[in-house]
Amino acid sequence: MNRRAFVRENGLGLFFTVTFLLTLVGQAVAGHADFNNQLIAEQLRPVGLAEYVTTSDFAVDVAENWQSEYLQFSLYIGVTVWLLQRGSPESKELHKGGTESDKDQRVGEYAGENSPKWAAASGWRRALYSHSLLLVMGTIFVLSWLVQSVTGVAASNEQQLRQLQAPMSWSQYLGAADFWNRTLQNWQSELLAVASMAVLSIYLRQRGSPESKPVGAAHDATGVES
Amino acid sequence: MTGRVTGRVRGAAVAVVLAATVGACGTVSERRDDVREATRAFQQHLADGAYDRVCAALAPGTVEELEHSAGSPCAEALGEEAPPRGGALRGVDVYGNQARAVLATDTLFLSRFDSGWKIVAAGCTERPGQPYRCRIKGG
Repeated sequence: MNRRAFVRENGLGLFFTVTFLLTLVGQAVAGHADFNNQLIAEQLRPVGLAEYVTTSDFAVDVAENWQSEYLQFSLYIGVTVWLLQRGSPESKELHKGGTESDKDQRVGEYAGENSPKWAAASGWRRALYSHSLLLVMGTIFVLSWLVQSVTGVAASNEQQLRQLQAPMSWSQYLGAADFWNRTLQNWQSELLAVASMAVLSIYLRQRGSPESKPVGAAHDATGVES
Repeated sequence: MTGRVTGRVRGAAVAVVLAATVGACGTVSERRDDVREATRAFQQHLADGAYDRVCAALAPGTVEELEHSAGSPCAEALGEEAPPRGGALRGVDVYGNQARAVLATDTLFLSRFDSGWKIVAAGCTERPGQPYRCRIKGG
């Protein structure tokens, strides 16, 4: 495959990977400036950019957003197995709620020649592969949330010490306002975005996008994508 | 070929993670030792009445605040109201560039500067749910 064909066939993944890296760098630069503003105001030593990206302050800001994004997609993957939305391209057709039949899912004896090996397998391999997307996304969510809690308590304690207050333990931090404020402010925005997408896509269209119904599709057409 | 490259990449990734982990642990351990040493030296200077050295161990903002509130140079101000000697070191907490050293009869707060760990606040007593009340501290 030549380079041009590779880029054309992988444009979606490449675009989001590159923009992810660029925005992560942007976050590091902005976060560094913000962190140093606080240190300078308190007559403490500012840190360099290379040192800042190893701080718990940067890590918790990254992790709190990662966990909420992976939670959003994990919920979307899991909840849309059973929950439906009339007219939404994000929903399956209204009679398809649930994990569906082996025939519909092309597993076991219904697997085709090009099906993944574990889709044709029986027992735990098929069961594991049948839920592999949710399992991996959910695991990344849990790990990101764990990282948020560990880096969060370190960042919070650093700030506590700057304010001449006693640090707290990890278990105390799990019940602290800072942990839940960071967590819930991200969750609410992700859930709002998903709810908006599920409902707005009933009535609104984006020509050419697989996330939208065809422009001429009826408002009550469910599970239809371009 | 692909397997060998994948193996090499995996090996490099493991090495980077291990190096980062060991490096991070080493840094934390070193910082704890540095905080203990800065605390010990500060206590020794207080015991010796070497207020010039006590002043050199204070953070710039703390010296500034001390001189401003006392209306006299740092060493002179400390001669009038030096923080108490804290006794045996009970433990240190280090998070990033900030630290707390808990002594038998005092608590110190420290911050890391280019020249090492400096005392930001001393003569501190705990107040539940509020910042420590400190005899000397930065502005």
